[in-house]
Amino acid sequence: MLFSTQFDARGRGENILAMNRTDDEWIDELGGATPDGTLADLRGLLLRGLRFALASYRVTESDLEDFVQDGLLKILDNLTSYRREARFTTWAQKVCVRVALTELRRRRWRDVSLEDIIAQSEIADFTLAALTDQSPDPGEATVTKMMLATVQRLIHEELTERQRTALLAVMQGGMPLQEVAERMGMNRNALYKLLHDGRQRLKQRMGNEGLAPQELLAMFGQR
Amino acid sequence: MKLRDFFKQWWRRVMAFTQPKEAASPAFDSPAFSDEQVKALVMGLAQTDARELSCDEVYALLDVFAERVQRGEDAATMMPLVEHHLAMCPDCREEYEALLKSMEATAAGD
Repeated sequence: MLFSTQFDARGRGENILAMNRTDDEWIDELGGATPDGTLADLRGLLLRGLRFALASYRVTESDLEDFVQDGLLKILDNLTSYRREARFTTWAQKVCVRVALTELRRRRWRDVSLEDIIAQSEIADFTLAALTDQSPDPGEATVTKMMLATVQRLIHEELTERQRTALLAVMQGGMPLQEVAERMGMNRNALYKLLHDGRQRLKQRMGNEGLAPQELLAMFGQR
Repeated sequence: MKLRDFFKQWWRRVMAFTQPKEAASPAFDSPAFSDEQVKALVMGLAQTDARELSCDEVYALLDVFAERVQRGEDAATMMPLVEHHLAMCPDCREEYEALLKSMEATAAGD
């Protein structure tokens, strides 16, 4: 099936051989005076790829075409940023995948706020508190619980409020970094760096307290 | 007005009576982490390195990385920082996996 010829609305086949352009040919033709045929071939390729890549997502054919159209615009706007380190078609598919998944995440999380996610976490903690014996008897706490409580304290002391909020949103609610970042007024790149900084600080502090993550994990695994 | 004030005071007394004396983490402000989240965080700490690529840096290299994987090369060893970031960042991981699938579907037409 992959080797069959598919026809577009003008009856012109998406000839598989015609797709074997070199990277330079793609760039030259797309940037040239009459890119229509090349654009149609690229559109067909991107649509085929995205259809398969998003098969497990809830997308319609119309969604796919919109994503490809937006992807094509982005590709044409950014032709000069293609660095020829991978094939042009791979680079183009990367751009299109990013466009599609960005939009799908926005749709999925549109009505969810950070407060919603944090509130879920607070409710869960309240329930835990209500069911747990709160008598302050250290003798009753297991070593594991003590270690968990220690790490909780270090999280509180080392991470900023923003870092804790971001971490909780990602861990508790599974919210994509892209969506957390937007709600916190930054881009995804900056959020990843914020979280990385938090992880670094926490790891360093734990090291200073003689708590190696690997040893803690081994301890948790012994439960 | 009097009835509203009376209701407000009554409601405050009810809430004060029913609120727990201490929160789950009494010394800490929210947000607090569950035990499972703490464990997951510690797992992340075990994989945390001083030098980690950003999402933008990985995006710039994702097509190269994906082609190496497609060719059956040991991309993880050749580009360990990209591999590491993909293990730590769910958004980038999702895009990488979608790119691989797209490439699989278009391989014959390239």
